[in-house]
This record gives sequence, C-alpha cells and structure tokens, in this order.
Amino acid sequence: MSRSTQPSEAKLQGSAGRKTQVLSLAVVPKNGSEREGLFFTFPLYWMEADLPPFNSLADFVQDSEMGNALQEILADPLLEELWCTTQREKSAWVAAWRQEGYVWFAERQHLPGVTDNLGRTVEEALSLKGFSARIASGTGFLFKEGYFQEGRQPSSLAEQGKYVLYHPLTDKFLPHDLSADEGCYLDFPSVHLGQPEPPQTIALDLDDDGLIALSQTRLLALTLAEMKAIAGHFQSETTKALRHSRSLPAWPTDVELEIIAQTWSEHCKHKIFSACISHKDFSNGKEELTEIKSLYKTYIQAPTFELMNRRGDLLSVFEDNSGVVRWNNEWAVCFKVETHNSPSALEPYGGALTGILGVNRDVLGTGLGARPIFNTDVFCFAYPSPDLSDHPKLLPPRTILNGVRRGVEDGGNKSGIPTVNGAIYFHPGYRAKPLVFCGTGGLLPTTVHKKSGFKKHTMIGDTIVMVGGRVGKDGIHGATFSSEALHEGSPVSAVQIGDPFTQKRVLDFIVEARDRGLLTGITDNGAGGLSSSVGEMAQITNGATLELDNIPLKYPGLADYEIVISESQERMTISTRSFAELKRLAERYSVEATAVGTFHSKGYFEVTRQGKPVALLDLAFLHKGVPTLALESQWLPPQTADTSPPPLSSPNLKDTLLSLLACPNISSREAVIRQYDHEVQGASVIKPLMGPLQQAPCDAAVFRPLFEEDAGLVVSNGLCPELSAFDTYLMAICATDEAVRNAVAVGADPSTITLLDNFCWSDPVATPANPEGKYKLAQLVRACQGLAAAVKAYGTPLISGKDSMKNDFADGTLRLSIPPTLLVSAMGRIAQSDAAVSMDFKSCGDLIYILAAGSLGVAGSQWSVIQGFSCPILPGLDLEHSAKLYVRLHEVIERSWVKSCHDLSEGGLAVALAESVIGSGLGADISMSSVRLAAAACAPSTDKCQNDMRMRDDYALFGEGPARLLITVQPELKQEWESLWSGFSLTLLGQVVQSDTLSFKEDNKKVHFQASLAELTAAWKTPLPFD
Amino acid sequence: MIKPKAFVLYGDGINCDAETVWALNLAGFVPSRVHTSELLETPRKLLTAQLLALPGGFSFGDEIASGRVLAIKLKEKLKDVLFDYIERGSVVLGICNGFQVLVQLGLLPSSKASAPRLVTLRHNSSAKFINRWVELETSPFNNSFFFEGLTTIHLPIRHGEGRLALAADSSPAQCELVKRRAVLRYAEDVNGSFDKIAALTNEKGNVLGLMPHPEAFVRWSQHPAWTLSKYPTRSEKAGLKVTVSPAFGVPHGLSILMNAAKAMR
Repeated sequence: MSRSTQPSEAKLQGSAGRKTQVLSLAVVPKNGSEREGLFFTFPLYWMEADLPPFNSLADFVQDSEMGNALQEILADPLLEELWCTTQREKSAWVAAWRQEGYVWFAERQHLPGVTDNLGRTVEEALSLKGFSARIASGTGFLFKEGYFQEGRQPSSLAEQGKYVLYHPLTDKFLPHDLSADEGCYLDFPSVHLGQPEPPQTIALDLDDDGLIALSQTRLLALTLAEMKAIAGHFQSETTKALRHSRSLPAWPTDVELEIIAQTWSEHCKHKIFSACISHKDFSNGKEELTEIKSLYKTYIQAPTFELMNRRGDLLSVFEDNSGVVRWNNEWAVCFKVETHNSPSALEPYGGALTGILGVNRDVLGTGLGARPIFNTDVFCFAYPSPDLSDHPKLLPPRTILNGVRRGVEDGGNKSGIPTVNGAIYFHPGYRAKPLVFCGTGGLLPTTVHKKSGFKKHTMIGDTIVMVGGRVGKDGIHGATFSSEALHEGSPVSAVQIGDPFTQKRVLDFIVEARDRGLLTGITDNGAGGLSSSVGEMAQITNGATLELDNIPLKYPGLADYEIVISESQERMTISTRSFAELKRLAERYSVEATAVGTFHSKGYFEVTRQGKPVALLDLAFLHKGVPTLALESQWLPPQTADTSPPPLSSPNLKDTLLSLLACPNISSREAVIRQYDHEVQGASVIKPLMGPLQQAPCDAAVFRPLFEEDAGLVVSNGLCPELSAFDTYLMAICATDEAVRNAVAVGADPSTITLLDNFCWSDPVATPANPEGKYKLAQLVRACQGLAAAVKAYGTPLISGKDSMKNDFADGTLRLSIPPTLLVSAMGRIAQSDAAVSMDFKSCGDLIYILAAGSLGVAGSQWSVIQGFSCPILPGLDLEHSAKLYVRLHEVIERSWVKSCHDLSEGGLAVALAESVIGSGLGADISMSSVRLAAAACAPSTDKCQNDMRMRDDYALFGEGPARLLITVQPELKQEWESLWSGFSLTLLGQVVQSDTLSFKEDNKKVHFQASLAELTAAWKTPLPFD
Repeated sequence: MIKPKAFVLYGDGINCDAETVWALNLAGFVPSRVHTSELLETPRKLLTAQLLALPGGFSFGDEIASGRVLAIKLKEKLKDVLFDYIERGSVVLGICNGFQVLVQLGLLPSSKASAPRLVTLRHNSSAKFINRWVELETSPFNNSFFFEGLTTIHLPIRHGEGRLALAADSSPAQCELVKRRAVLRYAEDVNGSFDKIAALTNEKGNVLGLMPHPEAFVRWSQHPAWTLSKYPTRSEKAGLKVTVSPAFGVPHGLSILMNAAKAMR
C-alpha cells in the first residue's frame, strides 16, 4: 500500500479561499509486514481546521507546511506513513484495503465530550508548529475474512466487539462492509448543547410525595427528611429577609438546590457514619441495646484522640484532604486512600484512572500542597467464571479487571508516582461491584514562608483561583445517569477519563507556587466540583463569592448549576493574595489559572452571574443543617455448619499446597506489578518483588522519602473480607493486625505506625427492598468496634479514612451485594532503611522459626475457599499480646538479627514457607512434629479445637490466623534469639538448605511430603486473568 | 577542583528530574533543574553547563509516540544551540524518555545535522510496559567514557517503548553503524530491541541515550537483591548475582555518572 492510493483527484470544496473542513488522517505502517494476521488496528484522526487552498490532498500532505507538520507529528518517518482524505471520501482507502484482502473496516471514535488526551496532544503539537486545528483521535480496524470464522458475524461486529474493541459509554464504533462502500463515515465529534437554561426557581411547598418525586427526578438523592429540612430553611424569616434584600426568589434556585444536594450527599457528609444507631445484640440469647451517637465520632475519632497525647507526630487528622504526620523537623508525610467503585463498575479504565488522579489531588490539596510520593492500590474483583451472575448492566469480569489495571498503569506511570505496593483480592461477591481503592502519600514542608505547611491560611479578601482543566458536563450527577440517557451529540456526563499529563503539569506548578509563597490555601475539585471545594474553603473565612462569568468551559451551553457541580477532572481550587504572579507562573507551566471569586466573611456561600446572585446559601445551614439519620441494627451471629473434609493424607497435602499457590488470591502478581512503575522518584528500598530472581513477594514497601536521609517510610495494607461472613468484629481486628504485621515484618517501628480505614459496605439502611439492612448495619457497628479495639491496643491512630456504603447491584429482580470489606492501610517509619528485611531466605543453615501471638482458625481460610467447605473454627487474637510481640520483634530487627521475615496470611504456614523458597531459590527442611507443636500451641481454647490442631496436619499447614510470622535467624544466634521470646509462641521448624526442595519430614527423617522449587514456582506463577 | 555544571530538564511530563539531580550531585556535578519553557526562552543559557540531562518520564503523556512532542517542542527553538553544544564537546545524556527524545530529534546514532535518521524506538515486543532490573553488557569496542571500567552491570528498565528498530530498507552499512554505536546491550532479550541494544552514542561519544535508568542505582539498597548482599556467605544461584557488596564497589548507575563527571573535569 503506498501513498499513491490516496484520492489525489479529490478536489476540496471551496479551494478558492480558506474554509473550515474536516479531514480524516490515518497512520499506517510503510511495510505490510506489521499487518500480518486477521485483524489490524491503526491510529485514525479527524481534523477540523481552516485550511488554505490546495489542489489535491496529496499536495496538501506532501507540499504544504501544515501537511508536513502533520506528517512530522503523527507518523514515524522510518516505519509509518500518513494518509489523508476528506471526511466522506474514503473510497481510495477502501480500494487499497480490499486489494489487501480486508473485507470489513471499523472506525472507533470518542463520544463527544469524552476526554481525548491523544487528540489534545496533537493539537498542542500543531500549535508548537504554528498551526491551529481541532483534532479528535480514534482507531481504525481492518478485518480479513478469516476473522469472521469461529462464530463471529460481520453483521453483528458492533454487538460482538462491545467491551473488546470499544466501550459503548465512551466510544462510537461504526463498522463498514468494504464490498459496499456506502460512504457513511463518522464525522468530527463536536458537542452541541444549544442555549443553556437560565437558573430556575424550584418551589418546595409540596406534600411528602411531591418532595420525594422532586428529589428523584432531579437526581438529588435526598431523603424526605432532608427535603423537608431544606424547605423549612427557606421558609424561615431570616432566610426570607436576606433573599428579599438580594432580589432572590423565596424558594431556592436550581443552583442552590444542587449545591445543597452535593454538600449533603452520602459521599460528602457520611450520613450513615454520623447516624444515631440503636444497636441490638442478640448473641447471648437476649437483647442487649447500645445507643451509638455517630460511629465516626465513637469508634474512629475517639480512639485516635485518646492516642494523641502520646503521639506528638500527628499534625493534622480528619480535617484536611489527607492525614498529616510529622516526618522530621522540616517535612511531614500525608496519606489518603479513596475508593472509586461505581465509576469503575461503569467504565473500569476511566474509573480507575480518575480514582488515582483524584486521590493524587487529595494529597496535592493537603495543607498548602503536598507532592505525591507513592501510590498504593487495592482491587477487589470477582474472578471471571461462568458461575457469576450475568446481566446486561454488569460488565464482563475480564473487562473490569483489565480496564482497572490499565487505568492504574496510566494514572501512576504517567504522573511519575511509584505504585509501591498493593493487593488484588478475588471473591464472587465483588460481582455486585468491583472495589477500587486508590491510595496516595505525599511529602510537604512543615513550614512554608514562616507559616505551617500542613494548614490552610486563607484570609478575607483572598482571590479564589481555579487551576488546571476546564469545566464540562463531566460527572454531573455521576453514576446515577444510565447509559440510555445518552444520545447523539450529548457529552458523556456519567463517565470520565482522566488526563494524567495535564495533572502532572498542575502538580509541578502547585509545588513551585507553594515554595514561592503564592498560596494561602488549596483544595482539590473532586466530588461536587466547585460547589464542594469553594463551599468547604469558605468555612475558613466564613464566606465566599464564586463568579461564574470567567470560568473556562470545555464547550458552551452549560447551565449555571452544571458549572457549579461539574466534576471535571484535573482541577484545583486555590486561595491567593498574589494572583498576577500566580498567573505568570502558571503560564510558564502551561497551566490555565483563572480568578473566579473572592473569600469573605459574610456568612454565606454566594454564586453570581454578571454580578447578580444565582445562589446565596447560609454556610452554617449548608454544612451543619443536614438532619441526623436514626437507624437500627440487629446482631445475631450466623451459625456455621462443619463440613470439613476428613484429614488429608500426605500426597493430598502436596496437591493442596500446589493448588493454594495457584489459586487467584495467592498466586504471583508479577504480571501486574511489572506494568506499574514502582521505582520512579528513586526512593525504593523494599520493592514489591525482591531477591536474586526478582520474585520474592514482599509484605510491605519501604522507601526513602528524602534522598539525604536514611530513614525509610513503610507502607502496607490489611484486608480480610473472607471473615466478614463469620464476624466483622474479628474481620476488622484481623485486617488491622495484617496491616500492622506487614509493616513490622519489613522493619517498621510499631510506635510510629498510623492507619487509614476504608469501609466498603453493602447498603446498611433497612428498607423493604433491602430487608437485611439491620444485619448489615450490625456488621458495620461490629467492624467499627473491632477496629477501635485494635487501634487502641496497637497505639496506631487512624489519621484519615473513607466509607462507601452502597456497593450493591439491584435491578428489581437481581440483587447482588459485596462482602463487607474493610481495608486498613498502614504507614510507618524505619529509622535506618538499611535495616529493612525482605521475606526471601538468605543462607543455607539458617534456622526457620514461626513466631505467633494469635490463634489458628480454619474458617475463612483460602483452603476452605478452594475446597468449598465450611468450618466453625475461627482464628482469634489477644491484641495486648500481639502488640508486645511486634515491639520486641522490631527491636530484634534493628539489631539485624532477623535475616528474613514473612507474614503468614492466605494459605497459612505452608504457603509462607513455599513463598520464601520461591523468593530465594533455596530449599527448606521442615520438621512435621514441630509444625504440629506450633499448631497446638496456637489452637483456639476449646478442647476439640486443640485436639484437631494437634492431630490434623492439614489444619496445621493451611489454617490461617493473625499475628503469625515466619522468621529466619543464623544458627550462631540460636540461644540468644530463643531466650528473647519467653511468654510467646516461638517454634523452631527447620533449616534453610541448599537443595531445591521444600521438604516436610518426620522425626525419623522420612519425608512426609515435599515439592521442588520448580513445582512450587510453576504453581505460584499460574497466570491471573489479566491481558 | 571545580565541579562540572549540569542542567536537568523538567516540566511537560518529565518525571525523573529530582532523582537525576540527586544522582548527578552524588557523582560530582553541580546540577540544577531547568524548566523546558525557561530553556526555550533563553536557549543560550544551555552553553553555561557542561552536561544536559533529559531525564525519564512521560513527556506529553507519551501520546502519539514517546518523546515525539517534546522533541518537536525542543526542535523549534533549541536545535541550533543543541548542535552547537554537541559540536563543542559538551555532553547530552538522555535517559529512557530522554533517549526517546534524542532519537526523535535525530541526534543518535549520529548527531551530524546532515545525517539521515536511522533508528526509532517502538513498543516493546510484549506490547507491555516493563519495570524490572536487567543485566547489561557494555560494548568492548565503545568510545564512550560513560562505561569506562564497567563490563556487566545491573540497572532497572521502566519503559513501554524501548524496542530499538531500523527502517525495513536499511542497508547493511547502516545496520553496522548502529551496532557500532551501541554501547550497552541487554544480556537477554527483554523488549525485542535490534541486536539487544539498550543504549546508543554518537560519533564523538558525547551524546548518550539509554533505556535503563542509571539514576535509579546510586545506592546499594536500590538493587532488588540488596538484602542478600548483607550476608556474603550465601551460595551462588541463578538470577541477578550480587557479586559486589557495598564494601566492594560503587553502584553501577553512579559509576556511569561519575565517569561522566571525571571526563569533564
């Protein structure tokens, strides 16, 4: 195929003068060899520009300056060439493709208004060359006859390609039969909105049904009580008088109602965590009632406030966009984990990408601005399986997995923030909704120009500045929009794609502006957009006026209320006293910065258009007027049947070990980890995969936040949703313990650890449609109580958190719910990062110990999951005891006595041993009698359990429980090491050996069972269902 | 002894500027960051430094092709000064995305203004981004002072588009020229790169572009097997062998940069 196949005769309309026209551009390989196969894709662009006259398209591409610029920008000079045609005349292309044996062609284009990073970059590149054009990017697909064998039908290409070749919420996809060149190709995707509606007044003198109907039709998601509170506020005499004096109608405008709905949303106000709950516990056969005034204040804030006396390092907790902890005299670190579940369920790539970029902005919007230094991401998915529920509104599981993975790759890598640590957890319950936890930590100076860097210093008279992206229809009413509501020409408001490049520019700019002392305050634009960011910052000075006239828009036609609540990405809101200087700096960084109002102290949040108010809301009412929910919970512990199999014989033990290593909750994450840059910024010490083979899965990340300092920051996560089916109190304790244990295992000082909590729950508000609401709320109460108990015992304060309470799928007939999930994320400090410990065995002859403080269970173990049985033996933990164990272990790690340390988690002791072997390439000889002894020492206190644990090798090897660690020590230290642990359960299990085998032996040296390094590694490297 | 001065470019999506500054500092340079806009406003400022580093990252989001748009931005206003700079013998170091920019600028494997463009950097053969540490062999025939005294080294790669490729109709002489300018090769094929090439230099050896990240190995605890190096008794096994422990040598990335500093004093 050569460029001569272009329609050189095609004359362009109006070649006498400049005219706006649309051209199609394709970038294709020069050499056909890259087009082998049944199906071929290539970049396709649409360009809308004022073009000078020219004779033919060939002349335009070859001889015009703009044509040459396009070639330079779009095509690799060695390998590619640029084709160009007018929008509707693709017949020359079609002829060339048919000659090569292609039978179908399809074009994919972003829907109008969907963020098009590639198109925007081409526009910027053209402007660098002095040309102006609007560019839309897309993809061309060519199919050979053979593609349509194996059951694929050309006529249903669009249906079959859904979620594989395109996503209907973000892309337009149009197939063409090349044998019938019908000439109906996609045009430039412009947004056409027409004239925006002026603000409307919405009367609230309605009966109950009317108020509920209004909340539903306007997608306000407000309850009747909340609607009544709003109506009541507007009927009060003071409100009426103020509104009258400013010529506003008595009833709220749509702008005001939307601001209130955003501010009072569950997302922003956490109404369930603030509710008054009557908690009824029936576990002892009779009702025990506890009245809880706010789960948040009682179980999240209170334990942290208690700890603040002995933790002088907590600089800012629960107040700002992330929790801030002192690092040294000059620097503080901050940490936040957000969820982005609903957006990821709709469009996984955009959902995960905006999740990452959003939490990056939380960090950037902390204090006077923190620079993000790490990401940590935890995903909960349903493993793809034919047994999962199918529904047209539920995306295929693989689409979700791959979309999320790719979103995190682009979000982290392109922002230059290392993804240091994470987890992927599978449970069929996550078919209801995938959970996408995005965490980011940042570094900020404790002092900025003589002011504390971890606080905001916004003052009366400061200018409100919007920085970064422009405002479009993105995210208005978020996920409540269904795909059916979208139509030709309407911008996609439910789905957003992030723009990491624009945000990286914003990030560089903010850090520089902060250091120059140009910022007095900063926050991010996330949920609720300007309504939320300005509305919240207004509380500092007690008032703000937002002027809509100058706010830069992506396209015209937005109503005032849409501008105010739009969730368009990559935007920060800043307060400054030096706008002119800030603006100059922004230009240097190619960042858009616009003055959009003023902070004052008039007690209200005002929005104006041409100087006249379109919204005027009392700040106290806006932020404190939401009525408190009153809820009831009922706790009755579930009964668990015992369907445990008979004890496994030794050949079955080996098979079970290999099956566990291969199971999706244990197998290697290498394929995913390698696609995330986990080393950028040059700080890493303990990476996700360590050891000579780079395959030792480490328990936590360690890195050095400051180049010049040895101290390391430790980041880890804990998550045990499998236990939620039994008791969420235990689940929360185990999740907290896991986070702390992982951090201590690599060397964190337990007295420096701080935690974040992230609750993802199934709707805990009982309604006729949700009859289990009271039980789910009881599960939430118990999880909070477990978390609080662990936080107090470990002395590890919660510094920030998040809750997401509606993780269900319901369409009237099908109702799916996630297992109640608590993610605990930990951040700690290791004074000398060179003392950090990795989990791989180090040297032959080293002694292998198990150190434990918890009791062993089988309920909820991965073994019970893969074998499909249930067992009532639950793990347990004496928190005071484990807290002491971690303190002592840390002292020993500081002395460099611990050569390897690995936390026992999914799969129990056998899997931890196997992973340490895989990670090192060395073998281990393990004594079965010691394994039995260790299990008996950690058996739950009932006689039956003690007996089972002693007698059943499978329980001992595959049982799971908190506060258990596998440690190696060099033989010379045996006596001193063992003498440290009186009062704790320490058992010598065996030795590291040179042979490539993990052997479990009886005392007479007879091998009970064994597996080779190759067998273990092969099982563990079973691929996950990611592309 | 006067330390050589270095500029490290940042902005427009460059990510590795801070650690590159730190690494150059350790290696004996006096480095400072310079924003792309600042350099393009005052191109001749470049002539005040002996080394220009184009660090890794995702300039312009890696859209269209890695490094292409930043190359276009630099070309419009900086190319003449850059040729002058190279002609004077000053050093240009492009790491990862910086290497991609140098290739897009047509400065490697020849930085003569008249030389035709010979190579390009394309998507890895796996079509995936890769972050892992690799073993690399220096070329025994190279004229590059960067690798003096180094034979087998370890560095991390972190790229999606690191496969060096030539035009299909390249002549044998052109292929030979590219091979001759290759100063670093992957010990194993990691990304499908032509002749396993990981780095290229120009005729004088004062322009170096490499996919691996030298600035990411300037302290021993950055190496994935460093926790082993604390225990020298361990027996030899497959994989990245930590044959040099902190007591015995300089981390390989730092060696490369120290060589550059030494050559410039």
